[in-house]
Amino acid sequence: MTDLNKASTEENETLIEISGLYQVFGNKAKSVLPMVKAGKSKDEVLAETGHTVGLRDINLDVKRGEIFVIMGLSGSGKSTMIRHFNRLIDPTEGQIKVEGEDIMKLTDDELIQFRRHKMSMVFQHFGLMPHRTVIDNVAYGLAIQNVDKTERLASASQWLETVGLAGYGDQYPAQLSGGQQQRVGLARALCTNAEILLMDEAFSALDPLIRSEMQDQLIELQAKLKKTIIFITHDLDEALRIGDRIAILKDGILSQVGKPVDILLSPADDYVEAFVKDVNRARALSTQTLMQNVNNTLESQSVESAINSLNASQQEYGFVCNNEGYQGVVTRSQLEQAAANDSNADICCDELLIKVPSVSPTQSLQSAIPEALGHNFALPVTCKDGKLVGTIPRSEIAQVLES
Amino acid sequence: MSDTSWLSKFPQLERGDLIAIRKTLDGAYREFSRNYGDTIESLFDPLLTFLIWFEKLLIASPWWLTIGVILAIVYGASRSWKLCTGVFASLIAIGVLGMWDDTMRTLSIITVCTLLSIGIGIPTGILMSRSNRVQAIVTPILDVMQTMPAFVYLIPVVMLLGIGKIPGVIAVIIYAVPPVIRLTNLGIRLVNKETLEAATAFGATAKQRLFGIQLPLAMPTIMAGINQTIMMALAMVVVASMIGVKGLGQPVLKSITNQYFTLGLFNGLAIVALAIIFDRVSQTYAKRTQKHLGGMNND
Amino acid sequence: MHKQTFVAGAMVLLSSASFAADSCGEITIADMNWNSASLMANIDKYILEEGYGCEIELIPGDTMPTGASMIEKGEPDVAPEMWSNAMRDALQKGVDDKRLRFAGNSLSDGGEEGFWVPKYLVEMDSSLATIEGVLKNPQLFKHPEDDSLGALYSCPAGWNCQISTNNLYVALGMEEAGFDIIDPGSSAGLSGAIARAYERGQGWLGYYWAPTAVLGKYEMVKVDFGSGIDEEHFTTCLTQEDCLEPRPSMWPPAPVKTMTTEDFAKREPAAYDYFTKRSFTNNKMNVLLAWMEYNQADGEIAAEYFLKNNEEMWTTWVSADVASKIKASLN
Repeated sequence: MTDLNKASTEENETLIEISGLYQVFGNKAKSVLPMVKAGKSKDEVLAETGHTVGLRDINLDVKRGEIFVIMGLSGSGKSTMIRHFNRLIDPTEGQIKVEGEDIMKLTDDELIQFRRHKMSMVFQHFGLMPHRTVIDNVAYGLAIQNVDKTERLASASQWLETVGLAGYGDQYPAQLSGGQQQRVGLARALCTNAEILLMDEAFSALDPLIRSEMQDQLIELQAKLKKTIIFITHDLDEALRIGDRIAILKDGILSQVGKPVDILLSPADDYVEAFVKDVNRARALSTQTLMQNVNNTLESQSVESAINSLNASQQEYGFVCNNEGYQGVVTRSQLEQAAANDSNADICCDELLIKVPSVSPTQSLQSAIPEALGHNFALPVTCKDGKLVGTIPRSEIAQVLES
Repeated sequence: MSDTSWLSKFPQLERGDLIAIRKTLDGAYREFSRNYGDTIESLFDPLLTFLIWFEKLLIASPWWLTIGVILAIVYGASRSWKLCTGVFASLIAIGVLGMWDDTMRTLSIITVCTLLSIGIGIPTGILMSRSNRVQAIVTPILDVMQTMPAFVYLIPVVMLLGIGKIPGVIAVIIYAVPPVIRLTNLGIRLVNKETLEAATAFGATAKQRLFGIQLPLAMPTIMAGINQTIMMALAMVVVASMIGVKGLGQPVLKSITNQYFTLGLFNGLAIVALAIIFDRVSQTYAKRTQKHLGGMNND
Repeated sequence: MHKQTFVAGAMVLLSSASFAADSCGEITIADMNWNSASLMANIDKYILEEGYGCEIELIPGDTMPTGASMIEKGEPDVAPEMWSNAMRDALQKGVDDKRLRFAGNSLSDGGEEGFWVPKYLVEMDSSLATIEGVLKNPQLFKHPEDDSLGALYSCPAGWNCQISTNNLYVALGMEEAGFDIIDPGSSAGLSGAIARAYERGQGWLGYYWAPTAVLGKYEMVKVDFGSGIDEEHFTTCLTQEDCLEPRPSMWPPAPVKTMTTEDFAKREPAAYDYFTKRSFTNNKMNVLLAWMEYNQADGEIAAEYFLKNNEEMWTTWVSADVASKIKASLN
């Protein structure tokens, strides 16, 4: 997804910035802080003062339009962490900036407005209101903004349809299955049109099958909506599957922040390494995480100009795309043979094209491997509409599968 | 041997000191009642006027009209013909056995006490649920209210306000209000934390959280509290009649002192009938309105 | 039951040995919840324990439950101050059935009952000491729920005096004069109502009785019905619920008796003999009650005070031998 979105104009723009964040739980948190900063361990601080260190010197950026996953085991502080973004928990010390504005300085009213319009949230156990119907749950965010009833219900039923629950509006949450309830939770969060979506272990309470279904749905939605999503999970597979970047949290300290590939292939410390050791990388990584930009695209053009393009980019082969999207691969040697016949022929319509199968960006690497066999080209990645969005070099695949 | 009598006998204050303490406090209370009694009494005048009006209304209305109104309320709340039939039968039995007026008097005072208890109890419970400090202060007060023998505060209240309805209402409320306070507090505190967090995360104000989430979700527990409060108010009917509150309690007292067992039993059963009517109606009402919650509210 | 068998067994043993004068077993005495009765119970306890060697247990009580328990269960053994009018029929039946005995009069003058008004009212307007004056001024005796009416505070629900009060209300024409009867519910409610009126210097009219701590503390004047006492009419009509033509009459002195069970009288003749003699005048009792009230003393303390300061009185109730034992223990 990253690379899909990074193609957009907002590429790499920092949306949320957290710096020097500390969270200490206890009555006299402020006075314990120097001790924490001096590097005393969580256990020491607890033994000496009865205070619990939740988070320690957190610094991170979240970029606009990415899915930023915070991963950690229970007790690592990840749920505490995500509650700082919308100040459900206030830090003991530290700065949280959203679009450059320090949200710690918001007044109570401003904070309410901020929560209503900037961020919405999905909860592990759904956090639905059992006394309201599904449609009223979805419309809740708008209702408390005093949005007119017909307007908010219209908007809510649209979102219900988007998450695949059209027709369930008049039911009560208790009548729905867990997966359906979480779809309601997701619809509710989307209904306020907030730019930032906080997801606190949103899929952890669901069955594995439903969970993977929901992950797919999220990825699909994100392709359309391009929200900035902060996603908390304890499941590394999930993190690798949906995250553009992953932060690993251990005992309130960030161990590593990076792309899934980086985490998998170059773990920053023993902890992360132990973590990723048992991961089936081919299954955990989606094709898009390995995907690179294409610089050898060939359009519908003549054989001669295609050779020129390949020369310019110093490539041995190129991916041919026309208005209908990706078509196939041509190699330099074939092109040169063809040029001997007719250098003006269109490469698209010639038998020159090798029909190298493409893969989708969301499928796992494992499922893409069969498509990589039987030829020596990088693996083309295409969207649903057939457009080429990137390729995966064979060396990358080899590296991932190897170690 | 030195004097070790304090080992065997508790070293209490000198008798004279104790008496001095008691006399001083008694004197201070008399002084207070002398100086402020009329003022305090006049504060309760509107309530007294209402109580008298309501009682007269219930007694003066034709019995069939009263029964009709009661049945309408019962049906409206419970939607159950079976319950209506039961209520109708008990009211007829009460009337036939000559306890109609006393029952109406008791009904009137219990209704007012219940409404006042709810009016006092729910806001107090809300305050308690919002602050651990308030909870720490209020809880022991509620313990005192529930366990302090009624006459300890009844007679001082009589000295301040005279005998009759007002001290009766105060006594009943002191005894009956704790459950609704406790269970409101408990109900709100038991509201699923995540649901509440969700409301906050979507930018709900404190008021929106209270009326949109906390109170509706705490309602089953609060209803249980109200139910308890009604039961306890009815249990106080006899005690209240000892300071001159008219109603079913007085014949009960009379039958106790004269050993008129049947009279006592009839009036006691009339109190029980009122209690069961209140209980069943409020229970079925609560059940009917909260059906959709399923098992979700406390997960 | 169990205790009775034990006591009976003990008596068999004792009688077979020597019937010593100071042999005395366990006795239960009702400690009623008003001051004069509690004082008497404690005096009895002290004298019987120190003078007769009995083992006394005081049992908290009230007129009705104690009376009923003595008739039906034979417990407690003694009620030191029984206002027998309160449950006259039942008690008389107990005596007739040989279950109870009236040992003597606890208050030799009998109890004083009547309608009372605060003394300060009479000082303001001396006509208020008579029923005519009262009837002319219902507005002085404010009804708590209806300003247009005067209030007559009746005797607590279920007491016999409630019937006589109701009959007198009719006989005196109080309804026509604009008075309404208020049931105070209990004696505590009644005395609370007096205290409230008195502390604020307000008017008050109602039934009460003496000697009591309340009338010791709050000076009240008994309203004169101008009829004198017609004891015959009072007992045959005014105290009956079906009294059709009630005429005014002041209350005759109420018998206030020491009551014991028949079983006790037979079992402990020496102690029973003491109870036949123990008696107070109203004047003496009023002084004692005033002392108790002033000092907030309970029955136990007041009993000790009485025994130390009124030797000439209680020594007439017991033999010289017993008296000296008590005197010795007091010092």
